[in-house]
Amino acid sequence: MFEFVLKRVLQAIPVLWIVITVAFLFVHAAPGGPFSQERAVPPEVLKALNERYKLDQPLLIQYSDYLRNLARGDLGPSFKYPGRTVSEIILAGMPVTFELGFYALLVALAVGIGAGILAATRPNTMRDYLPMSLAMVGICLPTYVLGPLLVLFFGIRLEWLPVSGWGYLPGDKILPSMTLGLAYAAYVARLCRGGMLEILSQDFIRTARAKGLPETTVIYKHALRGGLQPVVSFLGPALAGLLGGSFVIETLFQIPGLGRYYVQAAFNRDYTLVLGTTIFFSTLILVFNLLADIATVWLNPRLRQEDGARA
Amino acid sequence: MPEQPAGVAAMPGREAMHSPSLWRDAGLRLARNRLAMIGLIVLAFMVVLALLTPWIAPYSYEAQDLELGPVAPAPAHWLGTDIFGRDLLTRILYGSRVSLAVGFLATAVALTIGVLWGACAGYIGGGADAVMMRIVDILYALPFTIFIILLMVVFGQNILLLFFAIGAVEWLTMARIVRGQVLSVRHQEYIEAAVTMGLSRWQIIRRHVIPNVLGPVIVYTTLTIPNVILLESFLSFLGLGVQPPASSWGVLIAYGVETMEEYPWLLFFPAATLSLALFSLNFLGDGLRDALDPRASKD
Repeated sequence: MFEFVLKRVLQAIPVLWIVITVAFLFVHAAPGGPFSQERAVPPEVLKALNERYKLDQPLLIQYSDYLRNLARGDLGPSFKYPGRTVSEIILAGMPVTFELGFYALLVALAVGIGAGILAATRPNTMRDYLPMSLAMVGICLPTYVLGPLLVLFFGIRLEWLPVSGWGYLPGDKILPSMTLGLAYAAYVARLCRGGMLEILSQDFIRTARAKGLPETTVIYKHALRGGLQPVVSFLGPALAGLLGGSFVIETLFQIPGLGRYYVQAAFNRDYTLVLGTTIFFSTLILVFNLLADIATVWLNPRLRQEDGARA
Repeated sequence: MPEQPAGVAAMPGREAMHSPSLWRDAGLRLARNRLAMIGLIVLAFMVVLALLTPWIAPYSYEAQDLELGPVAPAPAHWLGTDIFGRDLLTRILYGSRVSLAVGFLATAVALTIGVLWGACAGYIGGGADAVMMRIVDILYALPFTIFIILLMVVFGQNILLLFFAIGAVEWLTMARIVRGQVLSVRHQEYIEAAVTMGLSRWQIIRRHVIPNVLGPVIVYTTLTIPNVILLESFLSFLGLGVQPPASSWGVLIAYGVETMEEYPWLLFFPAATLSLALFSLNFLGDGLRDALDPRASKD
C-alpha cells in the first residue's frame, strides 16, 4: 500500500510540472500584454511597468523566476488589484470556496447515496424509477439553470431564503450549497445504484442472507462497502467538477470565493492572477484525484495486487 | 455461409455489416424504446429548426424595438421579447444553431482523435500501446475545464477555438473505450482464423474490428454531445464562451438570469430548450446503449 501511494505521488509530480509550464506558456503567448487596455498607456509608463514586473526579461528567465517564487509560495503581484499579491487573493477566497464545496459535497453524498440505496434495494419498482427519474432531471438541469430556478422559487416567490451573499444573513449558505450539491447528487445516485446492484447480486450477499442476517445488516455492513466503490472513484472528478461549479455558483450568488475571483480575473485579463489560480486549482484537482485513487484501492484490496502486477 | 454461433456479434465477411441480425436487431430494440424514440424525434426536430432558422425565424436576429421593450409571450412574439425588444424565439433559434453546432462539431473532433488513438494503441499493442495510454492517463489528470477557460482568456473567445478545445478534452474516454474494445476483439478466435486464411491487416480491421467497435463508439458519441453542449453553455454563461451579439443557449440563460425577477420568461424558455435537448440526447444515448450493447445495459 505504501509503495502504491508513493508511486502515485511520484507520478503526480511531472503532471503538475506540465500543468505549470503549459499554463505559464499559454499566458505568456497571449496576444497583447497585461497592460494593453482600451485606453492606451503612454509608452514610458508601459516601459516602466514592464520593467517593474520584469516582463522585459527573456521568457526563460521569467519562467525560472516564476518557478523559484512558486516554490516559496509566492505567485507574484496581481496586475489588476494593485498592492495585492496573487497568494493573498487566493488565501482570502479559499476558505469560502472550500466551505461551499464541503457543504455541496455533503448534500451530494447524503442525497445521492440515500437515493441510490433506495433504488438499488427495490430495483424496477416505483422506489427505483422515481429517484432515478429525478436523477436524470438533475443531470439535465445544469447548475446555472437549477440555481436561478431555486432562487426564483425559494428566494423570491416564497421569500424563505436569502438569494445572495455568504455568511451575511442567516441561511444564505443553504441555496448555494443545495444548488451545487444537487447536480452531483444525481451522478452519485446513479453510480451508487449501479454499484449496489452489482454487489447485491454476488454470492457473499446470498450467503449473508442465508445465514439469516437482517436485511439492514446485509445492506449497510456487507453491500455498502463494495457498492460505494464507484462513488469513491467518482469523488476525484466530482471535486474537480464542484470547483468548476463553484465558478457558476459564486458568480450567481455573489459569493466572494476563489471561483468568482477566477472568473473576474479571466474577464480583466489579470494574467498573473489567472495563472496563479490555474496552478492552484490544478494542484487541488491532482491532489483530489490522488486521494480518490488511494481510497479506491484501500476499499478494494484486490486492486492493490493488480496494480503491483502492472508496475 | 456457415451458421454463426449465437452471441457472436460481428460475423466474417462483408455481409456482416448489412446482415439483418446485429444492426436490425439493434434498430428494433431502439424502436421499441419509447423514451429513446421521443428523444430522437425531439432532437431531429431541433436540428431541422436550427438548420432552417434563417428562413423560418419570425424576426431578424438583431432587430431591436426599444419602444416595445420586454413583453411577455404574446401572439406577435410567441416567447416574448428581451429588454431591447428582440424576439426571444428568434434568438433561441439562432442560439440553437451555435449550441448544436458546438455539440456536434466538438464531438466530431473528439470522435476522430479518440477512435484513431484508441484503435492504433489497441491494435499495435506492446510498447506503443503502453506509451499512448500513459499519455491518456496523464492528460486525464489535467484540469481541463480550467485549461479551456485559460485558452479562451488568452486567445480570445473564438468559436473555432472552442470547438477544438472542447474536442481535445473529450477524446480521452473515447480512446480508452475503443482501445479496450479493440483489445478484446483482437484475441478472439475468429481473428486468428482470419489471419490463418491470409487476410491482410487492413481487411481484418475493416471487416472485424470496425464493426465490433462501432457500437460502443456510437453510444459514447451520443452521450458526449450533451456533455459538450453543457460545457459550451457553462463557458457562455460565465461570459467566456460565445460572445454577443452571437448567442447560444448559455448566453441566453445568462441574460435571463440577470432579469429573471421582472421577466422570468427570458430565463425560462432558453433553460427549457437546453434541458429538453439534454434530456433527448441522454435518453437516446441510454436507448442506444441498451440496443447496441445489451451486456452493458442496466442490470
